[in-house]
Amino acid sequence: MKGAFESASAGKVTAGLGRVRVRLPLVREMGGNRKIWAALAILGPILLLVLAAPFLSLPPPLETDVRSSLEPPSLKHPFGTDKLGRDVLSRTLAGFKVSLVVAFSVALISLAFGITFGTLAGFLGRRVDQIIMAVTDLFLAFPSLLLAIGLVAIVGAGTVPVILAIALADVPRFIRLQRSLAFSLRSRAFIDAARTVQASKWWIMRRHVIPNTIAPLLVAASIAAANAILIEASLSFLGLGITPPAPSLGNIIRDGQIYLQEAWWISGLPGLVILLVAISLHFLSDGIREALDPKARK
Amino acid sequence: MEPLLQVRNLHTHFFAKGGTVKAVNGVSFDLMPGERLAVVGESGSGKSAMAMSLIRLIAFPGRVVEGSIRFDGRELLDMTEPELNTVRGRDIGTVFQDPMSSLNPVMRIGDQLVSPLSKHLKLSAKEAERRAIELLRLVGIPAAEERLHAYPFELSGGMRQRVMIALAIACRPKLIIADEPTTALDVTIQAQIVELLKSLSQETGSAMLFITHDLGLVARFAQKVAVMYAGRIVEMGDVKQIFHSPKHPYTQCLLRTIPSIDGDRRRRLLQIEGFPPDMRLPIRGCAFRDRCPAAEPQCAMEAPELTERADGHVAACWLDEGLASLPIGRDWLAGGNGEAEGGSGPETATAAGGGAAAAVSASSSGEAPALTIRGLGKTFVKRGGPPWRRRETKIRAVRSVDLSLRPGEAIGVVGESGCGKSTLARMLLGLEEPSAGEIARSGEVQIVFQDPYDSFNPKMRIADIIAEPLDVRGIGSPAERRLKVRELIQKVGLDPVFLDRYPSQLSGGQRQRVGIARALALDPKVVVADEPTSALDVSVRAQIINLLSDLKEKSGVSFIFISHDLSTVRHISDTIAVMYLGEIVEYGSAEDVFRKPAHPYTAALLDAVPVPDPVKEEARRFKPLGGELPSPVSPPAGCAFCTRCPLVSDRCRREKPPLREIAAGGRKAACHEIA
Repeated sequence: MKGAFESASAGKVTAGLGRVRVRLPLVREMGGNRKIWAALAILGPILLLVLAAPFLSLPPPLETDVRSSLEPPSLKHPFGTDKLGRDVLSRTLAGFKVSLVVAFSVALISLAFGITFGTLAGFLGRRVDQIIMAVTDLFLAFPSLLLAIGLVAIVGAGTVPVILAIALADVPRFIRLQRSLAFSLRSRAFIDAARTVQASKWWIMRRHVIPNTIAPLLVAASIAAANAILIEASLSFLGLGITPPAPSLGNIIRDGQIYLQEAWWISGLPGLVILLVAISLHFLSDGIREALDPKARK
Repeated sequence: MEPLLQVRNLHTHFFAKGGTVKAVNGVSFDLMPGERLAVVGESGSGKSAMAMSLIRLIAFPGRVVEGSIRFDGRELLDMTEPELNTVRGRDIGTVFQDPMSSLNPVMRIGDQLVSPLSKHLKLSAKEAERRAIELLRLVGIPAAEERLHAYPFELSGGMRQRVMIALAIACRPKLIIADEPTTALDVTIQAQIVELLKSLSQETGSAMLFITHDLGLVARFAQKVAVMYAGRIVEMGDVKQIFHSPKHPYTQCLLRTIPSIDGDRRRRLLQIEGFPPDMRLPIRGCAFRDRCPAAEPQCAMEAPELTERADGHVAACWLDEGLASLPIGRDWLAGGNGEAEGGSGPETATAAGGGAAAAVSASSSGEAPALTIRGLGKTFVKRGGPPWRRRETKIRAVRSVDLSLRPGEAIGVVGESGCGKSTLARMLLGLEEPSAGEIARSGEVQIVFQDPYDSFNPKMRIADIIAEPLDVRGIGSPAERRLKVRELIQKVGLDPVFLDRYPSQLSGGQRQRVGIARALALDPKVVVADEPTSALDVSVRAQIINLLSDLKEKSGVSFIFISHDLSTVRHISDTIAVMYLGEIVEYGSAEDVFRKPAHPYTAALLDAVPVPDPVKEEARRFKPLGGELPSPVSPPAGCAFCTRCPLVSDRCRREKPPLREIAAGGRKAACHEIA
């Protein structure tokens, strides 16, 4: 009886599932998502251009040439030139590099702080939770742009203050998100299973909580990155971000603002780039979310 | 008489990403007016998809691709959506498995009942409300007028299911489709609901299509049975024909896989090996042939059609008598069958029972217990109210429990949901701090969870899951751990190739095996199994029960089985503790408790369990236990069971009966009214 039992339960299984390719479900799902591909199709070339900018035969972003002031887009200057004769494409690419640095830094800072404090708030008991939440709620009470303006007003403009200002507004949201995800995991049976073998809280957070919350946080991070690009542009546009003559998408658009009627390309083309990038980042986050949540797929 | 429902060659496919799932593959049957048909099958057999196809409630990406459904002389598949909406609800009522998700959570019960009444029957608001109250009374809801204003979350699961039934019968439909209507409910409530459905169908003359995997319920409820496998009906007939002379090997196997509540519990359960076929792949020949002990070359070539075996009894098998046609099949069926031998069964059982009782007295003096708990209690305190008038609500989940577990003993803890059995388990595992009493453990206590889909971290491989207890404790070198994990997975009957997979790639039964392997990793003295089989299909359930029995015999681990499935508990346990409202009300050896229940609650529980035999079911004078578990916030003053007890006296209401010894061998019960 025993022999029949074991051979059958083991034998049939291998026959049926002999060669299953084991891959992480997340990667497989993402690979099949159209939105992710669409986003990469826009972001990829732009990223390549940004990285390749120094090697292209473009004039440096700060080089002025008064003779070719306010030239419309041409083969020589694909995005045209501004009042001082600077190449707008070259400035846009340089500005975009700043935007990317800001976006990635904000996403990384938000993820790091969000995961750390959110997990602690969700797992270290009521006192810790209350303290962390009181602080985050305080920051959440301010509109994020206002918070950023306030911080830049105190610390001064520049790339690092801009990053800090935007991250300051995002971190509380990430903490809240991570905390609620950690909360929902607390009652899951696999956490109980780890607790019955007396796994430490640190172990449970590291092995069970964070791996199961990382995916939704990545979605949030991609949205935060898209927003960071927009906020950096807004701040620079207001003159609170990256200080001229260093280019940033925001201050390029601001420079072009007064020539909008005779030279639309100075503001218009960098604006278009912002639009495309923001849309594709939202596509990307949508795609990741759909890949993670089979119910959201249509 | 014209059939009410005529289904012909129904095909329903789900166009999913990984391929087309052919969930229903050519189903044909007739249903007469007033007839009660049970559709039985494992999950994935297409029974729910078939039922939902009947009312065209198949969600995207599913579609009925072929066939005909004639209901009351009209073709449902040709109807437009507005036409269908007049049929659904008015002519066909539906009851689903989970009443919480099928009732609108933000709408009062009354409003949910009134709207179909005024829509389909064109009743005025007043009339509709009067009818709604009538309906709630009809389905046995006390204080119906008040309940009309309640929200679904204010009702218990059983009450919600009654509301669903009231909704389903609101417009006096000709057909009621009930999809696993009692699966989420306790045995006693389940018995009430089944009785209710049965009497409603007799009174109102509605036909019923009852989908279930519980064969006991089928025997109690149905007149006709259709057995589905891999999207087809493989056997259909009168309930007595199906239970007493099944012709299809699958039906024959299914009937032998269920542990019985009254037979010889020492026998090993028959189990159907393997898994149902993948419905995405084309099926050649008979779908059951891989699992069929009597499969012949012909079975692989051509799928058998349903052929008439007796008057109104059809089966789809090349063999006339299924497994019983061939010597190999007969041997196989005989292998696990203890009941058919008749006379000798009970004798051996009593002998075994006596032996167990002797063992109790022998070991109570010698061996140290694996686990002792004394006066264990747990009170949850809920604080509420405004800050200036704080209220504390005390919920006494476990009141005072004494238990002692010998090494190698298996104790079954049974009771309805809310009786405190899970809280008790959580305290034993150290997941919950007891508020009173003490626990003395002689070694590790580990757990096998109920839900095999929730008990593993989905991001971890099986190897890491099983190894986690060893990793946490830092036992052995990495190489030793790997070896131990391989040993463990083989011990639970799985191939080591599974070690590299993720939980989502395993079936329910395989996951439950992994859960058992993880529980055994630390060589525990006690394993708590919290409803280990309730999330599994019947055929897989037998595999897991047999595995647990084997482990118990071989390893000397003590087991605590927590379950509301009495037949499983009986099959696997030496001792039974019956819990009611946080206390043990009866305790004794499994044989004694099941054969001669002492406490009226135990008797009622056993009475509620349906027996998979229509003749026995008919012969039973069955009276389901009324009412529900009282709230643990305000338990009755005297005996906790006094609100539902048939033997209740004044003394029971005043004075709480202690758990006292009522017979030799440690048999105890808490009741004033028994000798």
